[in-house]
Amino acid sequence: MSERNGQKASSEDGGSKKSKIDLNRLEMPKQAPEVRRRNFDEVATGYTYEMAMEEAKRCIQCKKRNCQQGCPVNIDIPDFIRLLQKGDIEGASRVLKAKTSLPGICGRVCPQEQQCEHACTLNKKGAPIAIGRLERFIADWERGEGIISMAQIAPTSLKQVAVVGSGPSGLTVASDLAIRGHRVTMFEALHVAGGVLMYGIPEFRLPKEIVQREVDYVASLGVEIRLDTVIGINYSLDELLRSRYQAVYLATGAGLPMFLGVPGENLNLVYSANEFLTRTNLMKAYLYPEYATPVKMGGRVAIIGGGNVAMDSARCAVRLGASEVSVIYRRTRDEMPARLEEVENAEEEGIRFYFLCAPTAFIGDGRNNVAAMELIRMRLGEPDSSGRRRPVPIPGSDYVMEVDTVVVSLGTTPNPLISSTTPDLKTSRRGTVLVDDRGRTSKARVWAGGDIVSGGATVISAMGEGRRAASAMHQFLSE
Amino acid sequence: MFSIIAHEELAPRVHRMRVRAPVVAAKAKPGQFIILIIDEKGERVPFTLSGWDEDAGLVDFVYIEVGKTTRRLAALKVGDEVAHFVGPLGRPAEIGRFGNVVAVVSGYGIAAMVPVLRSMKEQGNHVTTILQTPDRERLFGEADLQLFSDRIIPVIEPNGEEVTGSVTRSLRRLLANSAREPIHRVVAMASLCIMRVVSEITRPFAVKTMVHLTPLMVDGTGMCGACRLSVNGNNRFACVHGPEFDAHAVDGWEVMMARRCTYADESVLQQGFQCRGCSQW
Repeated sequence: MSERNGQKASSEDGGSKKSKIDLNRLEMPKQAPEVRRRNFDEVATGYTYEMAMEEAKRCIQCKKRNCQQGCPVNIDIPDFIRLLQKGDIEGASRVLKAKTSLPGICGRVCPQEQQCEHACTLNKKGAPIAIGRLERFIADWERGEGIISMAQIAPTSLKQVAVVGSGPSGLTVASDLAIRGHRVTMFEALHVAGGVLMYGIPEFRLPKEIVQREVDYVASLGVEIRLDTVIGINYSLDELLRSRYQAVYLATGAGLPMFLGVPGENLNLVYSANEFLTRTNLMKAYLYPEYATPVKMGGRVAIIGGGNVAMDSARCAVRLGASEVSVIYRRTRDEMPARLEEVENAEEEGIRFYFLCAPTAFIGDGRNNVAAMELIRMRLGEPDSSGRRRPVPIPGSDYVMEVDTVVVSLGTTPNPLISSTTPDLKTSRRGTVLVDDRGRTSKARVWAGGDIVSGGATVISAMGEGRRAASAMHQFLSE
Repeated sequence: MFSIIAHEELAPRVHRMRVRAPVVAAKAKPGQFIILIIDEKGERVPFTLSGWDEDAGLVDFVYIEVGKTTRRLAALKVGDEVAHFVGPLGRPAEIGRFGNVVAVVSGYGIAAMVPVLRSMKEQGNHVTTILQTPDRERLFGEADLQLFSDRIIPVIEPNGEEVTGSVTRSLRRLLANSAREPIHRVVAMASLCIMRVVSEITRPFAVKTMVHLTPLMVDGTGMCGACRLSVNGNNRFACVHGPEFDAHAVDGWEVMMARRCTYADESVLQQGFQCRGCSQW
């Protein structure tokens, strides 16, 4: 099942006599599937001290730092592992904090298998160092010990920057610029900071306490966070630029959810993934009625889509008590955009996958609740612009599947609030903000990054774009 | 935190709350709404603005006690605070020099329509307001409407079953007379069922009719899609594309009304203002 990337731990090589290299990549303990299906606690429980030491010791400290080059925010990976090997966890944390303010988050949600761990020399033997797990261990250890190692903050520049949006990209720019001595105000439309880390990624993958702790860390660098403030409404972009801010970073995130556009899609209990996840994660519907926001769901839940957000929705549905959760994806397993690890987790939790099919209509129960959906089978045709083979409907292959709740997870289109009130901000036809390779927009003194630029990608790529833009902004502010 | 500056009961279970929120007051326009959260465990609930004072930094809105959150809200006193308060959200109501404007209001709309009518009057429109209320005891806000209406037609209907019928009669009478006194625009801020009936009555007369829709919302800034509805066959979000829509372009009222009731069983405690057995008034 998992041979696609060929990068799973292959501990059987570990006893090889020819090499002193330890290929026993240490697995992280996880809650058993039958247990975790019933709670929202974190699935992976993290390395113990002993486990972290054992895993760190496997690092051979290559001269050529492939892992560091594989990291979108350029963390000095061999250095923090070397300090870990010596048992200096505080020192390791300082190395991390020099390049990321969000180690507890990155350690959990980065696709390391495509980045640092992919580049790791030991990956040639199929057993890369578990860099993400070590990063997470350091962040969690610090939290457990109550120690907060701070990055060195430069003397104040007297320059002021507005960061719009407090998700991973905004947090990265805010902390990078604060560390360089600039005064940063970060605006957030919702009632808590964190963006997708709060409303989107579920508690069992990324505990909200961890997110808030890292948001607090960014605030402790001197970043002022203004919640409940919508840029494009309360202040236009031009108003920000006319007031005390010399530069603005736009990181407003994903935006409006997309739908299939098929009949019956607005029936009751057809949710967008954004709504389903926002209710569940941000508003904590799984703790209803202690928390006032409910999420209504029937027993048979179908998730439409094959990305990470679809996996999160499916796994939330299981934990909320669904009896049967199905993922409907129009291509095959090989084309699924979700991380392999998340797909495997979902499978272990009893979620069923139906490939090569797509809904063509939703059918009501006579009282405007969804009761079933019509699907059509697909086959794979020629590759499309994304390089993946295009799904082609097979005529006459329609069938009906009974469902009580549907969660549509097809991605998003950018929120028009800022672009519609800022005529000189150039956007693509899809509405994403256009930037150069350092995040600069068409509008003077304005940079942008994250999903408002990409249209929808990962936490770490949003952070990487933030890192690049922050250095360009710092250069501009220093001129 | 956002302080409550004034809080009064206008009629049984109908309250007006005034909150200090200068950032909201600075940009408020007729027909826009706010979202508030009482405390960190609270839900996000939208309310249409019924007035604001930019200089004093105050905004107010009128709400009806129908569920858990509005009941908790009703228990708050002057000097108490709500944790979060964001707005003004949504697009402002369309204001212009139309000529003869007929407003249809019920419930919270009796107060929330006032800023719309003030602007309509400023533009030189002649305003007729049909004000629906279930009984005399629950009649409120007439004086405020009077300030910006040339004529008020109160429809006091004790029997909930008849509500839509009586609004219908008043509006039909005005339309029947439209050869002599043309109606250039109808704007409604009332229960969904009244607005639906209003849109069906004006359709044959081709009188442009704007309705202020109140689907369920979660974030209220375009992110979640809970408030989507079909307008001319396209998905529109009430929070960013509305809440005011051209009633004759709205399709799928049935589904919209059903979606409005998704959580009625969980959160609505009492069936106060009923219309054909629907608790969402």
